[in-house]
Amino acid sequence: MSTAESATPSRTTSPATEATTPPAGGTATATAPGPGPRRTPGLVPVTETRGTAERTPREPEPGRAGGPAAPLPRRAGAFWRLLGSELGLTFRRPRNLLMLSVLAIVPIIIGIALSLVSAPDDGIGGVIASVAGNSLMLTFFAFSFLVLLLMPVTVSVVAGDALAGEAGAGTLRYLLAAPAGRTRLLLVKYLNAAIYAYAATAVVALSSLLTGLVLFPAGPLTLLSGTTISMGEGLVRIAVAVGYVGAAMAALAAVALALSAFTEVSIGAIAATMVLVVVCQVLRAIPELDVITPYLLPARFTDFDAVLRAPIDWAALWDGLLAFAAYIALFGSIAWARFSGKDITS
Amino acid sequence: MRRGTFVRWGVPIAAAAVIGAAIGAGPVIAAVSGDPVLPERSAEQLLADAAAATGKEGGIPPMSGTVQQTASLGLPSLPALSQAGASSPLSLLSGSHEVKVWYGAADKLRVAMPTQMNETNLIINGGEAWYWDSATNTATRVSVKAPAAPTHTPAPVPQTPDLTPQQAAERLLAQADEHTTVRVINTAEVAGRPVYQLVLSPKDAGSLVQEVRIALDGETYVPLQVQVFAKGSAEPAFQIGFTQVTFTPPAAENFTFTPPAGAKVEENTLALPEEAGRHAEEHAERAKDVAGEAKVVGDGWTTVAVVPFDLNDVTAQASQEGGEGAALLDSVLASATPVSGPWGSGKLISTKLVTALLTDDGRLLVGAVTPEEITRAAGVK
Repeated sequence: MSTAESATPSRTTSPATEATTPPAGGTATATAPGPGPRRTPGLVPVTETRGTAERTPREPEPGRAGGPAAPLPRRAGAFWRLLGSELGLTFRRPRNLLMLSVLAIVPIIIGIALSLVSAPDDGIGGVIASVAGNSLMLTFFAFSFLVLLLMPVTVSVVAGDALAGEAGAGTLRYLLAAPAGRTRLLLVKYLNAAIYAYAATAVVALSSLLTGLVLFPAGPLTLLSGTTISMGEGLVRIAVAVGYVGAAMAALAAVALALSAFTEVSIGAIAATMVLVVVCQVLRAIPELDVITPYLLPARFTDFDAVLRAPIDWAALWDGLLAFAAYIALFGSIAWARFSGKDITS
Repeated sequence: MRRGTFVRWGVPIAAAAVIGAAIGAGPVIAAVSGDPVLPERSAEQLLADAAAATGKEGGIPPMSGTVQQTASLGLPSLPALSQAGASSPLSLLSGSHEVKVWYGAADKLRVAMPTQMNETNLIINGGEAWYWDSATNTATRVSVKAPAAPTHTPAPVPQTPDLTPQQAAERLLAQADEHTTVRVINTAEVAGRPVYQLVLSPKDAGSLVQEVRIALDGETYVPLQVQVFAKGSAEPAFQIGFTQVTFTPPAAENFTFTPPAGAKVEENTLALPEEAGRHAEEHAERAKDVAGEAKVVGDGWTTVAVVPFDLNDVTAQASQEGGEGAALLDSVLASATPVSGPWGSGKLISTKLVTALLTDDGRLLVGAVTPEEITRAAGVK
């Protein structure tokens, strides 16, 4: 906000310098919307892009037009409306739906492959044997596969695109033109990504649960500790695992969002997030670096198997959640520091 | 603008500081609040109290916790070790490992080793013992004739009835005094509990061991940690101990095990009278053979064991069996340095804690001693 205030006087006193210095002008337009002469030339080409075409349903909102008449409830309402429209955009976007359907298909493929393999009963690993023995186990098996790469890819595409995509398409300045505030916009973008992360986790869980129920016998579930629990309790444990994995993906979304605030090329933020994930997986595989492993985010992704121990290893889950909270706080604040002070020039 | 930037970036920096402080909070709080101080005790008093506490009715109190074992023996780089499965005993030689322990009574014990999407369990309840391995989906029932001896046996103090714990401790220390300096630290902490540390340091300069520290819980006198420090290193070369411990009786479910449906169930009986006797005889025979040829040079901390050893035999056997044993042997032999002296010549393998000498005339010398010491032992025929 201080940038806008410091920039405005210079704008009024010397319009000539303003025209020659695009960055200052850009900031002013973005944070302090007004009938400035610079907005019109930018608006004309942009109205024709797809990004703005998609955003049109949001424009005729009554809350926006109402302005400062009833500040508090209206603003809160505006926040949820903004989130709602953001979610609508995310979940209507064909790319995002395609990624969700890939996540849904992979457990089905795993399930079919296992049901074909597990027919002859010799020399099969424990996990596969327990999948064949119980339908619920497929969920955990699918998680242990997907949580390493495919789910991080999905989440970082959405979160890495959140700011950089808007900036790249030239729609970010118009989003900020609304009296929404950058912090609020960032919060909406993050919540949107986190909800998508949970949706991706739930899609994997539901798909593998349904596949498991169709292909494998239902009934009491055998835990890794060799203890058997009822199916209802097994479902509860799946719910706990979904909560944990979703939080893990939401933490990764915070990293991707922070990277997204630094660039206008969304593929850059997405690729950088994926590089980080892969590098962390490589570092985990080196035994000499065991010391730093507990601090790496992807090292915590697979800890959901704590729900499969005989007394649930709450300590491991709790440690993991603390690590996720730390990552969300750190990268969320980095994203905020960068985004709230950024010159929006495109 | 510039000031705003500083203020803004102060937020993530503060967040990082808070997270860093939270990670380092344990040591910091410990440093601020000062070391826990237990009443001072001499080694003799400590041993006597420990013997009295663990030797009495009930023995070790019910407890559960997480035990971590860390070894950095400075072994030559062992690629085989990192590939070896986590449950392989060889993997214990490097890196760190964690097991969870539930101890209910002398005949109720559960030890679990969780690995990613797998778990191995040893459950002892009464005369019955189960070994469960989720990786192979196998439950092995181990029947033991006598009540299974738990891993935590009461303190190894001579149980002569006419000896009070006080006298036993006195005698033990008198024996140790010849080679060892014993002192007690009362300001240490293990797993958040104040402990007494019994520090044993060898008097002999030829030993590679700097000191051995045994931590006894300040309240229950249960051994909580054992550390072995090598000469000239601040970090323990070998350490096993609790990272988390509670002295409350664990839930009874921990000690009951029913093989899950669909699992392979195997029976494994230990110590069947005749068979075991026959085996024992065979073993005794072989042991006698080896013992006849093996001997011990030196005493106390600088003891060196000398065993007849034919390298070609072992290499042939290992390569026949294949697997990690052969790989390990290869990498160890590759790192050995050739040495020679008036005693002959051989290959020297030295680690932080143990030195081994493989002489060309077919002897293997092993001891926790310096290379000089071991070559001197090689000279003793």
